Formats: sequence, C-alpha cells, structure tokens
Amino acid sequence: MLGQVVISGLLAGALYAMVALGLGLIFGVMRVLNVAHGPLLMLGAYTTFWLFHFLGLSPYLSLLVSMPALFLVGAVLQRFLVRRVVDAPELSSLLLTFGISIAVVNLAQLAFTSDLRSVEYLTGSFRLGPFAFSKSRVIACAAAALITAAAFFFLKKTRVGKAIRAVSQSREVAQVCGIDVQRIHLIAFGIATALAAAGGTLVSVMIAIQPEMGQVYTFKSFLVIVLGGAGNYPGALLGGLLLGLIEQLSSLFLTTQVNEAVAYVLLVLVLLVRPTGLLGGRAS
Amino acid sequence: MKRWLIPALLALLAALALYPIGATGYGIRVMLQLFMWITLAQSWNLISGLTGYVSFGHVAFFGMGAYTTAILVAKSGWPWLPASLAGGVMAMVLAVVIGWPCLRLKGPYFAIAMLGLNEVLRVAVSYFEGLTGGGSGLSMPALDASVRIYYAMGLSALGVTALTWRIVTSRFGLRLMTIREDEVAAEAMGINTFRYKLYAFLLSAVGAGIVGGLAARDQGYIEPISVFPLVTTITMIVMVLFGGKGTIWGPVLGAVLLFTLQELIWARFPSAHPLLMGAIIVAVVLAMPRGILGVLQMRYNLPRTI
Repeated sequence: MLGQVVISGLLAGALYAMVALGLGLIFGVMRVLNVAHGPLLMLGAYTTFWLFHFLGLSPYLSLLVSMPALFLVGAVLQRFLVRRVVDAPELSSLLLTFGISIAVVNLAQLAFTSDLRSVEYLTGSFRLGPFAFSKSRVIACAAAALITAAAFFFLKKTRVGKAIRAVSQSREVAQVCGIDVQRIHLIAFGIATALAAAGGTLVSVMIAIQPEMGQVYTFKSFLVIVLGGAGNYPGALLGGLLLGLIEQLSSLFLTTQVNEAVAYVLLVLVLLVRPTGLLGGRAS
Repeated sequence: MKRWLIPALLALLAALALYPIGATGYGIRVMLQLFMWITLAQSWNLISGLTGYVSFGHVAFFGMGAYTTAILVAKSGWPWLPASLAGGVMAMVLAVVIGWPCLRLKGPYFAIAMLGLNEVLRVAVSYFEGLTGGGSGLSMPALDASVRIYYAMGLSALGVTALTWRIVTSRFGLRLMTIREDEVAAEAMGINTFRYKLYAFLLSAVGAGIVGGLAARDQGYIEPISVFPLVTTITMIVMVLFGGKGTIWGPVLGAVLLFTLQELIWARFPSAHPLLMGAIIVAVVLAMPRGILGVLQMRYNLPRTI
C-alpha cells in the first residue's frame, strides 16, 4: 500500500516539477508571477484533444505540435503584454496575468464550450509485482522526466540557456555583457509556456479536459516553486516530487475535499517558516 | 474649490438618503450593491493602496463576515444588524490571525500567502458542515429589509471613506505611506512598521466583514463558492486601480464607474463577462496604472489628500 502510494506520488510529482519549472523560469528571469500558467496548460490539453479528435493523432506525438504552438502564444503574450510590466511592482504583473488568465478561460468556454472532453488513448495498467500503475501515468512521468532533463540540458549547456541563467542572476550585469535581455525574456516565456503545454498534453490522457482545468495547476506550481525556492531551478524538481508525494500520502488519511486544502496550507506554512525554499533561493 | 465641494457632497448625501422613497425595489438593490463595492474597494485601498502590501485574498474578510452573520441569524436567531456588526468583529479577528504571521512576508510572497489563505478558508467552511452547512450552503429566514440594509450599506461606504480621509490626513497615514515607499527607510526612521501594517490590515478587514454580513442577510442564502471567489478580490483591486490607489476618492470613483459599466453593458453579454473583465484589467494595468485621480494629480498638481 505504502509503496504504491510513494510510487504514484513520484509519478505525479515529475509532472508537477515540469510544469512548475516553467512558472519558476518566468519568476526567476523577470520576477513575474504568471497567474495564467494554468490556463495556458489548458490550451495545451485542448490542442491535443482536437488533434486526436479530428486527425486521430497520438497524444504523445501531439507534444510536437502543442509545445511549439504554445511557445508562440507565450512569446506573443510576452512581446505585447507582459513585457510592459516586468519592472512594475508585483501588483501590476499579478493583475495583468490574472486578466489574461480569465480572458483565456472565457475564450476557451466560448470556443470549445464547457463540456467535459477526454482523450481515450492508453487505458489499462502495468503490473510490477504487487503494484499496478496506469500506463498513461507511467508514460506521462517518463515524458515529463525527459522534457525536464532536456530543459535542464538547455539551461546548463547552450549559449541561450546560459544567457537565461545569467539574466535571472542579474539583469544589469547580463546586459553589460552584451546579452539582449528582451530577447531572453521572450525565449524564457516561450519555453515556460511550452512546458505548461507539455503538461496539458500529458494530463489530457488522464483527466477530463475542460476550460477551468488549468487554475489548480497555477496554485500547485506556486507551491512547488515556493517549496524549492523561487529562482532556484533544481529546487523546482525537488518541490514537484515532494508535492506529488505529500498529496498522495495525505490522501490516505483525508477526504478528497480536505485534501484539496493540503497544498494551500502547505503553501502558507512554507512561506512563513522558510520563505527562501527548502534548498534556499533568493528572497525578494 | 472647497466652497462648493462641501455643499455638493451634502446635497449628494441628502439625495441618496431620500432615494428609497421614490425608488423601485430593483433600484434599491442596485444602489445597495454599489455601496457594497465602494466599501470593499475602499477597504482594500486601506491596506494595499496605502502600505503597498497586496492583499490578493481580501474577499476572505467578506466571506468571514458573511458566514458569521449567516450562522448567527440562522442558528441563533440574531437580528440582522448586530449579526452584521459581529461579522465585522470576526473579520478583524481573522485579520489578526492572518496578519500576525503573514505581514512579515514581503512583495509577491504576501500576495501568494493571502491567495492561499482564502482557499484554505473556503475549504474549511465546506468542511465544518455542522456549523456552516458545508457545500450545500446556509439559508436564512425570509426578511423584507432591503431599505434598511440600503441605509446600512450606505453608512458602511460613508464610514470607510471617512476613515480613509481621517487616516490619509493623519500621521498614521503618513507612516503607512512611508512603508509603501520604502519600508527599510521607514524602519530606520523609528516607525514600528509591523505594528502599523497590522493596524491598517485590521481596519481594512472590518468594513469588508460588515458588508459581507449585510450582503449575506440581503441575499438570504450563501455557499462557499459564492462568498470566497477570487474574482471578487480582483474586482475590488481593479476598482481601486481604475480610480487611483492610495487616494481618498479614487476607490469611490472606480467603484462607481466599473459597477455602472458592469450593470449597463456587460449584463447584456453574460457569457463573455470574464473576457470583458480581463480586457478591462489589462487595459487599466497597461494604460493607466496610476488611475484616473493619479493622472489628474500629476497633471494638475492636486493635493495628495484628494
């Protein structure tokens, strides 16, 4: 029982880590908390649903469409809206992204209706000794781990990735070194939205798709980056896995309804006790 | 300017006081809601407009007031007025419980904590079914008091506006604004910043709690999702931003304008309501983050205490 719970928690956690890495990237690079992160994830899920519905495209292959498509959406949002509040007080960016968030959800309701949709693709489960895991969750975890690893490789090894880390350490110094900060902001926001889109695609096989499915991921991603330490990218990994584990473990003792509050209580507690995150990040 | 301002305000107050005599039930309802929004916007302005601490879960106080009132009315048979005042008191108690730890957090961390606490409260209210009726809500006996509640809402709006005027023109207000401009400098000047932030937080909770109670009594039925929605917090914030944050009349102006817009135009497109709201938010944040009064202050060199 406990083993099953721990493994389920880690499976879910890998997905949280990937989605939250996106949110953390935006916060780290431009000090903006993107409330619209979850609704952008929802758009990723719909992309997968429609591709599957009309073309019969495998949800996992549709990652190749949803990630670039949402990269573009993110870049456009950054170029025309978010760019203008990067240096403003946090109220401006919180409100702006909240405005984007409700507009995106409402547009999805108008365009796709609020009907629950599902992608019936990979059903059934793997058996491993005494444990059983649904195939979609295992594959989602593997895909999320791969994508997260690719993102870290990109941040660590490539020129653009290094530039992103430089900007998140100190924008002024990065600028002095000849880095085009606006371009880096654009790329970082695009990558962040693409990571959200990947999350949307991977969960579309597991849960019902509807316009309001995303918001909860915004909150969970907040918690993950707070757990890991804001601006600390490896911290997001630890935070994601921890959140997955805690949610699964607490579901053993609590009703579904109360379990919903666990993430929020934890969020507030961690903020109060250790606002720089478990691994230590940069407090603002 | 001062010479005509005070008679004009008195005339406006007299007109609003006499309004229920000739008005329809619908008209009274609309005005009562406008007063509620003025109070909420003004309350948010007290903490966030003056100290710069963004209360992103301010609707928690509204919900606290609503539930306190509903429980007292439905379970203990209290009359609506003391029940609503009790709602204000409980909102202040909540403000101490939340503010004591959370006002030490800075910047976006305070905003996220408030956001999270509001959700915790919503889930907690759904959980304690014996007291709150859980997810199925709480009904109160029917009551025909919309005229009396109109006056109570009006007095709340007036009271919180007068309070804001009193604060902005006092040393206390100056201390709050010093915290907003530079908290470290405020501390260095010997201001006990934590204490003043907590006072402002308490004062910002009480009005929201009272109108929460009044609104609950007026509607006769409440449920967790109807009194703790994030969008109510956002509406308060946009009203304040629209009118001019940190000013006395900005929240009133913003509430009147946004509420009128909502009633006149958006009511016709209910399915696209969030889209329009989102567009307004983006427009206000990008085009005039200082708000109408802020812009006027800059351009015509108006006093800070407007």
